[in-house]
Amino acid sequence: MTETTEAKPRPTTGLPTANHLPGDGAIWVMVLGDLIIFGSYFLIFMVHRTMAPQEFLEAQQHLNLTIGVLNTLVLLTSSWFVARSVAAARGGDHAAAVRLTYFGGACGMLFLGLKAYEWWREATQGFSLGGSPSEEFFNFYYMLTGVHLFHVSLGLLIMGIVVRELRRPRRRIGHSNPLRPRMSMIESGATYWHMVDLLWVVIFGLLYVMR
Amino acid sequence: MTTTTPGTAQSTRAITVAWLILSAITVMSWWLAPGHAGGHTTASIPITVAAILLGFIKGRMIIRYFMEVRSAPRWLRRSTDLWLVVLWTSILVIYLW
Repeated sequence: MTETTEAKPRPTTGLPTANHLPGDGAIWVMVLGDLIIFGSYFLIFMVHRTMAPQEFLEAQQHLNLTIGVLNTLVLLTSSWFVARSVAAARGGDHAAAVRLTYFGGACGMLFLGLKAYEWWREATQGFSLGGSPSEEFFNFYYMLTGVHLFHVSLGLLIMGIVVRELRRPRRRIGHSNPLRPRMSMIESGATYWHMVDLLWVVIFGLLYVMR
Repeated sequence: MTTTTPGTAQSTRAITVAWLILSAITVMSWWLAPGHAGGHTTASIPITVAAILLGFIKGRMIIRYFMEVRSAPRWLRRSTDLWLVVLWTSILVIYLW
């Protein structure tokens, strides 16, 4: 993966400058809005859990913790690739940025696969939606992980758009610097992807870890 | 590893250290959590408090190092910190209710 740096014309670094807003303002409106909406879901879950703590704890033990941990590690690794991709793009190494985004996307696909297997496993063991307190835990489990999964899918689509931007930096005409892909767009895509990671970390803590 | 400039290397190193710490915390959570086969688990305030603290730390590391909020304008640093504090404090308060 080592590349020579002498040919690179710009002295740009992979470090963001101070007071730099990563991505554009619109993505942050969306991300902060999503964080508030998910935050409300999490608190509603906590209120219901507190009303039937023993039932929730017993139902929780039917989750496959190993898959939960694996999914968390996969998503963290995916964010690691995407964050390095942004640093590479900022440093002018677009080939590395594309490669790292692909690795990040592959981890995202792996997350989807593991989640599908986990759902199939829970559903075939008879843990379904319903009105009793222990079924209520699984209502929350399917709802929270389902809405999150939708965000993972949207994140993968956004990463596809980021790759498209990274791969054709030289064809753009009329941009202030046609040799460079728009950093703000790449940062916006990464910001969305890290939000997906952040929300999963909370879901993992609430559904799998706390007792 | 690609090191285009010293700046890139420095930035990548911070990201990698954050990823290693986040992964280590996650593996530690596996040991704390109740879902291990066979055993009967009872509620535990210390373990839940630990899970809440670790969740807060993980969230803040993702926001600061992956989302690059540590070098972002102050309003964004403040609002993401506010979200983290309100969320995890409320979770703790509702849990202990």
